[in-house]
Amino acid sequence: MNKVQRTASPLAKRNAGVKEIKRLRNTLRVRDLELAELKKKHAIDLQELDKVAKMLVQRDLERSQITEKREDELKQLKESRAALLNILEDAQAARKFVQEEKEKISAIIANLSDGLLLFDAQDRLSMVNPQTEKIFAVKEQDLIGKTIPQLAAFPATRPVVILVKNEGEKIFRKEIKLREKMTLEVTTVPLTIGKNQLWTLVVLHDVTREKLIEEMKTEFVSLSAHQLRTPLSAIKWTLRLLLDGELGNITQEQRGFLEKTYQSNERMIALINDLLNVTRIEEGRYLSRRVLIELEQILQIVVNSYKEESKRTNIGFKLEVSKEPLPKVLVDLEKIQVAMQNLLDNAFRYTRAGGQVTVSLKSDKKEVELSVKDSGVGIPKDQQEKVFSKFFRAANAVRIEAEGSGLGLFIAKNIVESHGGRIWFESEEGKGSTFYFTLPVAG
Amino acid sequence: MKKILLVEDEEIILDLIKRKLSQEGYEIASAKDGEEGLKAMKQFKPDLVLLDVVMPKLGGFEVMEEMKKDDQLREMPVIIISNSGQPVEIDKAKELGVKDWLIKTEFDPQEVVDKVVNQIGK
Repeated sequence: MNKVQRTASPLAKRNAGVKEIKRLRNTLRVRDLELAELKKKHAIDLQELDKVAKMLVQRDLERSQITEKREDELKQLKESRAALLNILEDAQAARKFVQEEKEKISAIIANLSDGLLLFDAQDRLSMVNPQTEKIFAVKEQDLIGKTIPQLAAFPATRPVVILVKNEGEKIFRKEIKLREKMTLEVTTVPLTIGKNQLWTLVVLHDVTREKLIEEMKTEFVSLSAHQLRTPLSAIKWTLRLLLDGELGNITQEQRGFLEKTYQSNERMIALINDLLNVTRIEEGRYLSRRVLIELEQILQIVVNSYKEESKRTNIGFKLEVSKEPLPKVLVDLEKIQVAMQNLLDNAFRYTRAGGQVTVSLKSDKKEVELSVKDSGVGIPKDQQEKVFSKFFRAANAVRIEAEGSGLGLFIAKNIVESHGGRIWFESEEGKGSTFYFTLPVAG
Repeated sequence: MKKILLVEDEEIILDLIKRKLSQEGYEIASAKDGEEGLKAMKQFKPDLVLLDVVMPKLGGFEVMEEMKKDDQLREMPVIIISNSGQPVEIDKAKELGVKDWLIKTEFDPQEVVDKVVNQIGK
């Protein structure tokens, strides 16, 4: 057929062409429309797709975030778990440590050679150790939970408890005799946390053995001192007879030596007397008879006996007594005289020629105060706390006079304190010392 | 001549006192312990006894207690020779009725004489 058309006239051919173009154009238009339609539809689809894609991206993001977060959480969880385990482990270790420490401390407390008592804030006994049971010869269960007044009713615990009740936590190494062959040294320690005192710890130190040894020692010294007195008396008397010419004439030179020997012997006797006094102090049988007297009377006697010494040594000597009448004191004459002499002995002994010793006496309503002031060598600061100890002699004192028992001030202190008085001193090395003591006014 | 009995276990002290008192014109006898002393009191019949406190066998205080039980010795004056010179010792001695006392390390031979003269005269 195409062959036919091709063979058709040119006009026909042209018409046919136009027609064809028209048709094609229409077709094209339709296609365009369809395309537009399609495009439109596609656009919508694309939009939709875009939306979906975006959503997908968002989801993905969220999902990855969630995953990430979850991973983090998981990691954290793992870490926390490990930490928790660690803590648990630490706690266990700590508990074990605490347990061990507790056992250790319990073992120490149980095996301590000192007795321990622990009172709570309500003064109730909350702990004792086995040593305390032994000391009191009372079982733990009979003591725990008891209050101080309840314990004071027990004969076994009474002395210690009364002491604690009266003096509280200020007790330091106070000696008490619990019974025959049981002497204790009691110390109390307040146990505080922050500012609150929670407990009072009472430490009982058994000093029975030390006490016994001390007694034996004292007895030994006392006995030997007594034994020494007899031969010393014999020497003294023999020398006296020789010096008095009763055993024949002696030369001047012999007299000189004999006199020095006599003085040495006198010093030895004085030393033995000091030793005996110390043993008497330690045996607690030093104080005997007390009389009511004005202290000035005794002081005058003592001071008079040093006038000679003052001239011999060229040391000025003065007595100052307050003009007011002094109240009477209740004292053991002999002992107070010894205390005064010991202070004066030291004042003269450690003051150089040309120096000054001044004794003063004054009083208030409560006490009479005596002081002995010297311009002597003084006591070195680092040795001042030991001044009243038995056998103590300061280094500079030893240099000045090698002899001296170191007992004078110990004895003086004991005498004064056993009269209820106080003794103390002020001293500066190179300038001098002043020793004071007071005695309570009688009545 | 006045008679004095010395009862003292320490020989040198005994000798010294003996010598001093003999020189003063007293007749002296001595004993070295309490037992011997009591015997000597009865035989020698002294005007005064110087009696040591610390002695073997019988001490001075025990001797005095024995003397109290004996009519013959009860009134015999005694001066004790105290070793310590402690108030307790002196008090005890006074309680037992001593006339006086001497303290070993404190007295001179002259003091012995003075105290003896004071009791029984020359």
